[in-house]
Amino acid sequence: MPGSTPASTTAEARDRAPKVEQPRLRTGVRWWARRFLRNRVAPIGLAIILGSMVIAMLAPAIVPYDVRKMAPQDALHPPGGGYLFGTDEFGRDVFSRVLMGSRVSLVVAFLSVLTALALGTTLGLIAGFYGGWWDSVSMRAMDIIFAFPAILLAIAIMAVLGTSLFNLVIAIGIVYTPQFARVARAAALTVRGLEFVDAARALGLGNTRIIWRHLIPNVLAPVTVQVSLNLSLAILSESALSFLGLGTQPPTPSWGNMLSEGRQFLELAPWNAVFPGLAIMVVVLGFNLLGDGLRDLLDPRLR
Amino acid sequence: MRVRLWMLLVIAALILPALPVRAAPGGTTLTVGVDQEVVGLDPNLVTAFSSFRRIDFLYNKLVRYNDRLQIEGDLAESWEYADSKTVTFKLRRGVKFHDGTEMTSEDVKFTLDRVLDPNTRAPGRSFIDVISSVEAPDKYTVRLKLSLPLASLLSGLSSANLAIVEKAAVQKYGNLQRNEAGTGPFMLAEWVPDNFMRLVKNPNYFRRGLPKVDTLIIRIVPDQASLLAGVRTRALDMATINQGPVITAAKREPSLNVVQKAGLNLRIFSFNTSRPPYTDARVRYAFSWAIDRQAIINTAEGGFATASGPVPASTPWATPTSKFPSYAQNVARAKQLLSEAGFPNGFATKIVTSPTYEGGIAVAQVIQEQLRAIGVNATLENIEWGTYINRWVARDFDTMIELRGGDPDPDRFLYRTFHSTGGVNNFLFKDAAIDRLLERGRVNVDPDARKPIYDELQKALIEAAPALFLYVPMETQVLQNYVRGFKIVGNGALYYLEEASVER
Amino acid sequence: MQRYLASRLLALIPVLLGILAVVFLLIRLIPGDAVQLFLGTQVEMTPKQMVELRRFFGVDKPMCAQFLDYLGRILRGDFGVSLRTARPVLADIMQRLPLSFQLASLALLIAMAIAIPLGILSAVTRNSTFDVFTRIIGLLGLSMPNFWLGAMLILIFSRYLHVSLGQYVPVTQNPVGTLESLYLPALALGAAIAAILMRYTRSSLLEVLGQEYVRTAHGKGLRGSAVMLRHALPNAMIPVITVLGFQMGYLLGGTVVIEEIFALPGMGRLVLQAIFQRDYPVVQGVVLVIALLFVLTNLAVDLLYAWIDPRIHYG
Repeated sequence: MPGSTPASTTAEARDRAPKVEQPRLRTGVRWWARRFLRNRVAPIGLAIILGSMVIAMLAPAIVPYDVRKMAPQDALHPPGGGYLFGTDEFGRDVFSRVLMGSRVSLVVAFLSVLTALALGTTLGLIAGFYGGWWDSVSMRAMDIIFAFPAILLAIAIMAVLGTSLFNLVIAIGIVYTPQFARVARAAALTVRGLEFVDAARALGLGNTRIIWRHLIPNVLAPVTVQVSLNLSLAILSESALSFLGLGTQPPTPSWGNMLSEGRQFLELAPWNAVFPGLAIMVVVLGFNLLGDGLRDLLDPRLR
Repeated sequence: MRVRLWMLLVIAALILPALPVRAAPGGTTLTVGVDQEVVGLDPNLVTAFSSFRRIDFLYNKLVRYNDRLQIEGDLAESWEYADSKTVTFKLRRGVKFHDGTEMTSEDVKFTLDRVLDPNTRAPGRSFIDVISSVEAPDKYTVRLKLSLPLASLLSGLSSANLAIVEKAAVQKYGNLQRNEAGTGPFMLAEWVPDNFMRLVKNPNYFRRGLPKVDTLIIRIVPDQASLLAGVRTRALDMATINQGPVITAAKREPSLNVVQKAGLNLRIFSFNTSRPPYTDARVRYAFSWAIDRQAIINTAEGGFATASGPVPASTPWATPTSKFPSYAQNVARAKQLLSEAGFPNGFATKIVTSPTYEGGIAVAQVIQEQLRAIGVNATLENIEWGTYINRWVARDFDTMIELRGGDPDPDRFLYRTFHSTGGVNNFLFKDAAIDRLLERGRVNVDPDARKPIYDELQKALIEAAPALFLYVPMETQVLQNYVRGFKIVGNGALYYLEEASVER
Repeated sequence: MQRYLASRLLALIPVLLGILAVVFLLIRLIPGDAVQLFLGTQVEMTPKQMVELRRFFGVDKPMCAQFLDYLGRILRGDFGVSLRTARPVLADIMQRLPLSFQLASLALLIAMAIAIPLGILSAVTRNSTFDVFTRIIGLLGLSMPNFWLGAMLILIFSRYLHVSLGQYVPVTQNPVGTLESLYLPALALGAAIAAILMRYTRSSLLEVLGQEYVRTAHGKGLRGSAVMLRHALPNAMIPVITVLGFQMGYLLGGTVVIEEIFALPGMGRLVLQAIFQRDYPVVQGVVLVIALLFVLTNLAVDLLYAWIDPRIHYG
């Protein structure tokens, strides 16, 4: 276990739990592919994710009903009889809405994690590599965000910005930025202390070269795991915010607002809340399986 | 190291201490589930509906509405008009506040003066601001002098905001947000905010023999489905439920008794009449033809609502909706009106709503869909409550879904809502003819002379359409079969719980 | 050690100050003002009454003055009173803290009961079908929105099993009642934590099992189960305890939606309502307390870590 620097607060404390350590990057795609498949868990996750992405892309073409089309005479129709997942209180087809809802959930998840990744990794790399006052200031700022309960912070940001898809991405992105900053900083700190960096410096390589040639490749592995796990958190956050009425606007279906609208029909028409919930579960499980598998793969102690 | 580890686990296991179970208090107890906690208990200061319902247990007003929405005496035994600007109330004798002191005309005068004083920040001030002076000629007589005759004065005085408070207590505590000093059927015994409030019987209550239960427990259960789960498993004896689907589920339970009555709240679809194209009354009226009110009721309220005009359909003043031609949906007529106004192909617009309004989003979505038939392409703006209020105050909207608190007296609701100077006229609606009708209706104290004025007014409001009047949701209480004697009032008040008994 | 502790505590000050500033600013950036929200859309007030209300709500001064004022009072331990209910904020928080703490503890206990045995089994049978299956089941708990799981549990228990969902009672009054009202929400929260704990138990145990001294113990002829109980497990549990601590910190602030669904009067519900009502003093107070608990828990975990494992020294 690495010792702790006296000035550390929650930031490093959290990272001390065994997590991803620096893998020695071996070249050879086939070597990695073989290991990936042998992992058994990660491929299942990847398959689920790819499957749901394909469905999301094809959704407009394959949905049996217009997601806005109301059919009052068929309201709250149980699953079956032309409606695979039943209908909601407006008589809209739940199956079509679940399929279309995947688009919002996935887009929000990917874009918000991308935001967090870009912001967090940049901050973390700079902090870890250069150190100094920038390190203290930016990491203290990350501590502040981190000490906020994530969901409350997201709620407050959404309330400030107002409800829209774009703002949803920003809110979730900000909330998860510190995690990327920490992972990237930890990796940068390790690399900075390695001999080959000193060697590279001695050879007269500039910082930019060192960052691109040595830092980025080493940060890649732990960040990949983080991306996968955060995608799952982002989908859950989107659903929680939409559930509270702060997410996507009706009638655009998202899994979160389907849950929100379906909640009062839990007794009468449980399919309204059950199916979007199951959809969330499957996709999030996919990201979790992939992330968990990658974590194992990239953790040198578990080889 | 291992020893320390196990020590730690043992300590962790001891964190939850086991203490003896406290015995339950004796007597009969009625447990009621509601979804909202009160925000303060001072009758003269609160604005939240949840607070009004709770204050009814602790306090009394001069007059109140009975279950047929007729005014009856509460603390006042009788009243009479000397002329249209002078009313004299005779108070009940021997009414005691919870601390044992007698309630007299001094307390009534103090309460009314307190509400009228701008420094009190009393929301009920606008109900009675025609009162120019309050006199207490003797211990049991109160005389009000008015600057103008006001037909809805008694209705205003029946508001929980005008519950009579104890003068000495207010002077002692400053305000009554956390203390209580009433004459009501129950007294506050224990209050754990957001969890429950325990009220005990007032042994000196002036309605002899009441209340019938010894303890009344109000539990806060924010989720409607959980409320139903509570009555189903008998953790609750009664629950106030307002979501249509949950009511439908409750009606399927043989052991539960679902009591419903058309309420006073009015769901409306408001126009900002200062924004084109809604400056044109034809466009607004076209919408009235375009929508199907029953479809909205079925979807948004599970059918538990009554279509209504500008005066809540539950009151005797309401004109039957069959007299309003546009209440029979007619898309062709709507399109024709839009064409006349210069929009043969419709237009794009926005509907503001908030998730805080139960069912508001459903109403918005159905209307959005129905407007597509006349070429109007509406976008929803479903915004958080605080933002919604901000937009409401700033009059920053095209159209908006609202739930207005109606009143048994037409003046109290309509004047402030649709008069060009009305305090809650966020439609920015100005119509000289309607203003005149409103002014005539409010000063006329004779009900028979008032009726034709309000009939004419309702018809005019439907056609001028500052808002589309949709429906009044039902007030719904779900009771166990063994709860007897409870009567539901259209204004949602629970004061008849004083007559309820538990007969297992 | 003392110097280490002092420096860690000192480092908390800027973080807590920052949190206070951020929450103070953030809640005021939200459109909608406390006074208007208090009035709603039904109430008419005269301009004179409005001025009086603004003064009463303390929003008549510039924001900077308000902040310094607030900071000064916080330092003296005065959290102010709620704008809506007029109750002292600190008293409200103290009243709700036990529930949040009990809910978190119970969720952790449930998570441990599920995760540790499964984690051990999964490590021992590494890469078998059982292992893969267990991990997928475990991760399912982490893959559901907890409020959805909570709603499903309510549906199943109240509708199909007719089990009464008790109202929360303080543990000092009736511990059985407390347990009755908390086990379902704790299960809904614990399911996700179980997945995290299981992952740590598994990987930590795998790591330990691969180490020299465990192999030596096997070599000395000790039976497999004895090696597991005497050597491998205690060592593998250390990181798991760390994770438990962090989850405790997370749980104290992360139960917002669950409290709403299960009608639990905890801190999450207090702060959620306060945000929506712009009850500034309450939001500030609760967020400060939650954040303080979070950083202190993390600090405690670090110290605990050193105490259990004598190999680690701070200072």
